Amino acid sequence: MWSVSTNAKWALLSVPMVLTLAAVFAVPIGCLIFLSFFGMTGPAQVGDEFSLENYRNFITDPFYYRIILNTFWLGGVVVLCCLIVGYPVSYFLARTKSRWRGLLLFLVVAPLLVSAVVRNIGWFPILSNTGLVNGLLLKSGLVNEPVPLISNLTGVIIGLVHALLPFMILTLTTVIQRIEPELEEAAANLGAGPLRTFVHVMLPLSLPGMIGGSLLVFTMAIAAYTTPVIMGGNRFLVMSTFIGQQFRTVLDYPLGATSAAVLMVLAGLLSVLALKFGAPRTEMAR
Amino acid sequence: MKRIFATGVLVSAFVFLLAPIVVVVISSFNAVGVLSFPPRSFTTRWYSQIDPTYYRALIVSLEVAAITVLVAVLTGVPGALALARGRFPGRDVLNAICLSPLMVPALVMGVAAFQFSLVIWDHFRLTLGGTIAGLVVGHLTFAIPFVVRAVLAGHTRFDHSVEEAAQNLGAGPWRTFIHVTLPILRPGIVSGAIFAFLISLDEVPIALFMGGGDATTLPVKIFTAMEISFGGDILAVASVIVIVSVVLMLALDRVIGIERLFATRH
Repeated sequence: MWSVSTNAKWALLSVPMVLTLAAVFAVPIGCLIFLSFFGMTGPAQVGDEFSLENYRNFITDPFYYRIILNTFWLGGVVVLCCLIVGYPVSYFLARTKSRWRGLLLFLVVAPLLVSAVVRNIGWFPILSNTGLVNGLLLKSGLVNEPVPLISNLTGVIIGLVHALLPFMILTLTTVIQRIEPELEEAAANLGAGPLRTFVHVMLPLSLPGMIGGSLLVFTMAIAAYTTPVIMGGNRFLVMSTFIGQQFRTVLDYPLGATSAAVLMVLAGLLSVLALKFGAPRTEMAR
Repeated sequence: MKRIFATGVLVSAFVFLLAPIVVVVISSFNAVGVLSFPPRSFTTRWYSQIDPTYYRALIVSLEVAAITVLVAVLTGVPGALALARGRFPGRDVLNAICLSPLMVPALVMGVAAFQFSLVIWDHFRLTLGGTIAGLVVGHLTFAIPFVVRAVLAGHTRFDHSVEEAAQNLGAGPWRTFIHVTLPILRPGIVSGAIFAFLISLDEVPIALFMGGGDATTLPVKIFTAMEISFGGDILAVASVIVIVSVVLMLALDRVIGIERLFATRH
């Protein structure tokens, strides 16, 4: 084994990294938390009296309460959509022996390497009032007037589902791959139909993976900022857009810091939980 | 019948995943009404109308990404080695702490970095906000953990006997490190560095709150332009980014396999 002195040398090797992380990460987060305990005295002005006022407001004021509810609601809807769209795709990718599997897996991951801002831009010609979807809807006679699909909540949901679906598919594919196909065959041989096989065999066995993937997607959905701003047209307030507003336009820094601290704690707890359920550790959505 | 239904579900999912990316390129050639689709007439006018500030923003983005990755590799690789090999007290805690920045939402990191820049200005009269250095500071928070994670993942398959063999053959610690250890760790370092580089190029919230003025990155430039109005020039810039990304992606897939970039578990 290593001697004491070489172990000290190893520890020494980590010093530059630890110092850098302390300077660029720990100190700024400390500044943010510190700021959250003060009040605003004017635009971009911070008072010098320590108080828990911001946090108390956050819990008791129905306005902030509403924002937190919106945030959770949005996360829930995005998770649900990702599960519904992602499960069949993952099932196929996990079970297929097709030679296209590699290519399809590549196509699932590929959107992640295209800038989030650029992907959002692509939704505009598709979802705008004169865009592709409304063009088809109008032509088919299903609607008489264009349906607003972007610059509102619908837009935010579509953008986030698009951004986070790959993470759900990757997580679920790994999980379903580990379930032996023989179990499904056995269920079918014993007379269970596809639906019963799914409910009694596949669902319970893939549940941990579904929970892990859902927690991951939920966390990234509530943490995302870029997509909600671009796709929502600043009309639907969730925690992230609210924080951005406080720092960019309202200039109530302490209140922004408080909401940021709350979001950080929420996202942190959820990430730890997601890791426990075997979700891969990824970067936060943007 | 069941087969057709299953194929339909799969095809629609993939159309959904790829649609916005394809549409960006097609719509960038749309002559009138860039918000309508499909385009009715063809033009390359938007490409010649790209504002020069976009090129400047691209240079800023590349500079920030390059410096960030350089610092992250120089500090993160030795740090990861210490975490992988050292047996000092507090190592597990240190490991957890080094990866914890990845759990903090980028937006929170952005506003924290902004706040930090105000404090630094108040106390030391140092300007961080709106400078390349400030952007690097903000981006190191995810770049270092990415490099550490990738190196640690590569290190789990490390066969220590090759190092012993080198030393038995008379190589000193430095020579062993340069000629044996480093080449073995290289794939991990490279994939961590590439990932950190790509995220840095694409990242908005941190660069938005820390940057500004001469230190505006390309995605932030597009983001703020979109907040004002949506036009053909934005589509042209986005389309160039898509084409470059696709070329890079194919190259990356050849070299390391992009599936691995995202599925790194640790």
